[in-house]
Amino acid sequence: MQGFLLGLANGTTCLTFCAPVLVPYLLGEGKGVRKNLLTLLLFLIGRLGGYMLFGLAAWATGSLLLGATAGQGVLLGLVYVGLAALLLVTALRRRAPVTGACALQTGTGALQRARRWPGAVPVGMGLLAGLKVCPPLLLAFAGAASSNSLWGSLTLFLTFFLGTSIYFLPISFLGAFRRVAPLRTIGQFSAAIVALYYLYAGVLLVVGGLQ
Amino acid sequence: MNKLKSFLGYAAAILSPLIVLVSFMGLDYLAEPFMTATGLEVSANFTGGEVVQTVDHGTYQAAIHRPVFDALIGERKTGFVQIDWAPLDALPALVEEEVDIDGDGQADMGLQVDVAGEETALTAYAPWVLEMEGTYRLPESLAVRVTLRNPNR
Amino acid sequence: MTTSARALSGPPRLGVWKGLLLWLPIALISALTPLQVLQSGEVGLFGLAALIAWAVFNTFFALIFITGKTHRFRAVLFILVAVALPLEFVPYMIETYGSMMLTEATMLSSGASFCPLTMPMILIPALFKRVVIFPGELLPSAAHGAFSVMFIVWVGSSLALGRGWCSWGCFYGGWDELFSRIRVRKRPLLRRIDRRWIYLPFAVLLAIVLLSALTYGPVYCEWLCPFKIVTEFQAPSSALAIFQIATFVSLFIGLVVVLPLLSRRRVQCGLFCPFGAMQSLLNKINIFEVRIDTEKCSKCQRCLRSCPTFSLDESSLESGKPLLTCTKCAACIDACPQGAIAYHIKGTRIGVRPNVARGLYLYPAMILMSFIGAGIFTSGLYRVLKLVATGSMI
Repeated sequence: MQGFLLGLANGTTCLTFCAPVLVPYLLGEGKGVRKNLLTLLLFLIGRLGGYMLFGLAAWATGSLLLGATAGQGVLLGLVYVGLAALLLVTALRRRAPVTGACALQTGTGALQRARRWPGAVPVGMGLLAGLKVCPPLLLAFAGAASSNSLWGSLTLFLTFFLGTSIYFLPISFLGAFRRVAPLRTIGQFSAAIVALYYLYAGVLLVVGGLQ
Repeated sequence: MNKLKSFLGYAAAILSPLIVLVSFMGLDYLAEPFMTATGLEVSANFTGGEVVQTVDHGTYQAAIHRPVFDALIGERKTGFVQIDWAPLDALPALVEEEVDIDGDGQADMGLQVDVAGEETALTAYAPWVLEMEGTYRLPESLAVRVTLRNPNR
Repeated sequence: MTTSARALSGPPRLGVWKGLLLWLPIALISALTPLQVLQSGEVGLFGLAALIAWAVFNTFFALIFITGKTHRFRAVLFILVAVALPLEFVPYMIETYGSMMLTEATMLSSGASFCPLTMPMILIPALFKRVVIFPGELLPSAAHGAFSVMFIVWVGSSLALGRGWCSWGCFYGGWDELFSRIRVRKRPLLRRIDRRWIYLPFAVLLAIVLLSALTYGPVYCEWLCPFKIVTEFQAPSSALAIFQIATFVSLFIGLVVVLPLLSRRRVQCGLFCPFGAMQSLLNKINIFEVRIDTEKCSKCQRCLRSCPTFSLDESSLESGKPLLTCTKCAACIDACPQGAIAYHIKGTRIGVRPNVARGLYLYPAMILMSFIGAGIFTSGLYRVLKLVATGSMI
């Protein structure tokens, strides 16, 4: 209950952090409400994955991650740079027609299958967004770090995730605009601009953390 | 219906120059009521926030503002506190101030300000007092901003 | 003149007397500004500048009515306003703060000047938290550009003109216009630009609104505004500030100088400005628009080639409407040899009484231009006269 209430109380902050990533991506995809709900679900699954990793880290290391401020800065900076790179890939990729000659279509390994999976990008973005140490997440982290059991730590983050995710549902209705082709272009362009911001923020954090 | 649309169109078109005229000529009458009605203020990130404490040093006063962690939603994890000393011409060469930010009766930081050089030495007593942000000569006061970590986050 | 010849001559001329009659109310309204100046006792250089500004602006306004041509005369005034702005603003900054560069101390004392380009960024924090995330004055004072003034002017001009602001009110766009009209070659080097770029301003708008909400600061002003080069910018007191200066200087050189020279289009206005994107959305609620009479249109595409903001394409000729980004500059209206393009009042029939629609549009447009543009031109001209008379602009 503590985690869920914490998530409900602070979910709008999470939305503020994640919307600059998610909104341009959904606009850029230009899909309908149902497909957007699916994309949102994948994004949230990625976020959940990130939160579960934090739950694991909180249990395993206690307050070590919070205490090592220099390391935290570099880690967060690298996450930002990764998010920026992912956003830039989203913004710059063109929708090429699928042909038999495409290298990505050949090969049978698990990696090839993973790369062909259309959910790779939203899950990846959600994972990285979930790894961002935003203020409500630190609150949840502090709570989870004091937990004696791995299950307690993971449960707190799971309920925190559920509480915050309620605020993300309205974003899927951006799909109502899918027929307006320019919105897709606008989404791609704005993703690139937001990516530049996260690239700048990430580099600053890495440089600051290394100094 | 077409006649009505046409009438409304022409009516709106005729009103347009009047709207522009009123916007400009009514500025003196509209500006202040507009600001009063909206209650808008410049963000504390720029103004330093409200003054919560004043310390009287005889010839000059120190004004301690509230800690600013303002964000659109909730609070930021780092912010600042601003301290001003005024009037400028009554300040000694070196201003020393022990600042209690959270009002618990204990000083959270010590400041030594070289007024002429506009440089400040910070001694942090509380763990959430991080570093000097800057020293600024304002039109009527000397201001110092110190970066803080939000103790509530 | 025969009917067929008249049809090929573009917008109909009103003639001298009719034109002067229509111009007269504009002349009287725009005379309010120099009259105010003279009434306040300013009969010296500033009063002279105000009278010259009135004369210059009204000469071109009269020509617009008399000749039936709009774009070429509007463009001259638009350019004069943009050039005058730094002539008046930079000396003001030096007089008030000792430099055109803003120090952090200046910003902490709310010394930055508002311009309408801040509106997209400040709306959300203003609505939700009642704070203005810009270090400027809120109420009119001796300082330039108070928020309340800019907001009221923006609301009024948006209601009256929509994106017409971008060709009649904006005091930056004239730089784009100036460089787009300089012929470096017989034919523009860049003749085709991928049409997807016309959506970039909307992306910039979305990004700066989101990032300003996230950072609680005016992101466009801090990073992207090319026109800081002609007004005020943060002093290079840190590596970050130097990087920001390099960014906006590069944007000015690229978007305002080089690309307009090469393409003969207003590239910054048409392909980057987020305020223009916001005004495009406000075009939806504005009563005036530009329409093409598809029955008269011969599909010669001169309008497409003349549009400075990429607001006309082949689909416009089919639908009879420019894109939402139309700034109502009248370049296409003047270029059309069939007289098929005209200002239009929504709800009325297309092609019926176009002169009435034109007149009704020109009135708020010219009033806006005379209050903003002539005001800036007066102040800039005053500085030039002061330089000539005393050897200093300050």
